Amino acid sequence: MTPGPRPEPGDFEIARDATYYRASDALRERIDASLDEEGRARRRPMLRRGLALAAAFVAVGVMSWNLALLQASPSRDEMFAREVLAAHVRSLMSPGRQYDVESSDQHTVKPWFAGKLDFTPPVRDLAADGYPLAGGRLDYVDGRTVAELTYRRRLHAVSLFVWPESRDPDSAAKSRTLNGYSLATWRKGGVRFWAVTDAAPAELSRFVELLEAG
Amino acid sequence: MGRHSDFAPSVMPHLDAAFNLARWLTRNDHDAEDVVQEAFVRAYRFFDSLKDSDARPWLLAIVRNTAYTWLRKNRPADVVPLDDTSLIPEDMPTLGHSAPSDSNPEVVLLQSANRKLVNQALEDLPVPFREVLVMRELEDMSYKEIAAVAEIPIGTVMSRLSRGRELLRQALELRLRRAS
Repeated sequence: MTPGPRPEPGDFEIARDATYYRASDALRERIDASLDEEGRARRRPMLRRGLALAAAFVAVGVMSWNLALLQASPSRDEMFAREVLAAHVRSLMSPGRQYDVESSDQHTVKPWFAGKLDFTPPVRDLAADGYPLAGGRLDYVDGRTVAELTYRRRLHAVSLFVWPESRDPDSAAKSRTLNGYSLATWRKGGVRFWAVTDAAPAELSRFVELLEAG
Repeated sequence: MGRHSDFAPSVMPHLDAAFNLARWLTRNDHDAEDVVQEAFVRAYRFFDSLKDSDARPWLLAIVRNTAYTWLRKNRPADVVPLDDTSLIPEDMPTLGHSAPSDSNPEVVLLQSANRKLVNQALEDLPVPFREVLVMRELEDMSYKEIAAVAEIPIGTVMSRLSRGRELLRQALELRLRRAS
């Protein structure tokens, strides 16, 4: 009996010898679930139904808000809630404009704001707690430039708006929902925080706890 | 939402291809799954951009971009740009002619050892070579499709394939020599 040919060094064929990795059932299920979630988000009237349409919605929302202000004069919190929500949606709508500085490194994001703001926003990475920092940008709320830090919670974005409010004492977080988004606001060390996300309210509460504890 | 109902039938059949590419780029299951999941969400959002073109290269381009973003963040050393001018096309002998498969236990053993060696050597190749080899050899994609996915000219695809195979052959020889 003659031995078969021995494979020699260099005698290889990638298509035969290298592994073709196949997706697990678990991955398939994960993707199905996240696409279901995307489908739901897509059906929300304000989100991703066409940028122009959404922009128009926001503009009309802000305008009718301004009109309402003349008539009803709701609280300042109500006004801020609407403004930061509009800013959050704005940042999500324009892919190239989601961040001015895209980095998960707080030591990159924080210095980026230097010279662009008249205050230094506190920047912390919460990756270890499941809320990695994704980047930062400037926005405009209540007639002033504010810092917006973006964190990720799984596939959701959490926007954290920060600006100084030095005259006021600290206040505990108040949360609410508006147009299907979760919002929370608190004040600490002379800084006003507003957090906005389309993630579940419980996810936002956890985020706020982490920041308040820090 | 019209066309989004077409997403699953046209894109889901390429899940294995997406995972295989992500797995070869990230080199582990866990990160590959995260990359693929994110890529599918992006694909879903940008499904309008698929139009009537072939879904597989379109999806793989998104997977590759997502994987590169991940690599830049987590393994920046893996994505240093490649200077293709250093890829002097060499007249290389055709490599990898297949050995006839054999039920001889010794050969079977050698073939399974071969598999491990080839996997390791391919994983160790720089990303620009690894990705074109995976798309060509494991996905059986055309040069043109690979060029579109990797955003390089067709000539560069060919020189990277050729150079990649040569680097792989050298790496295998070194490993075999060390093992013996």
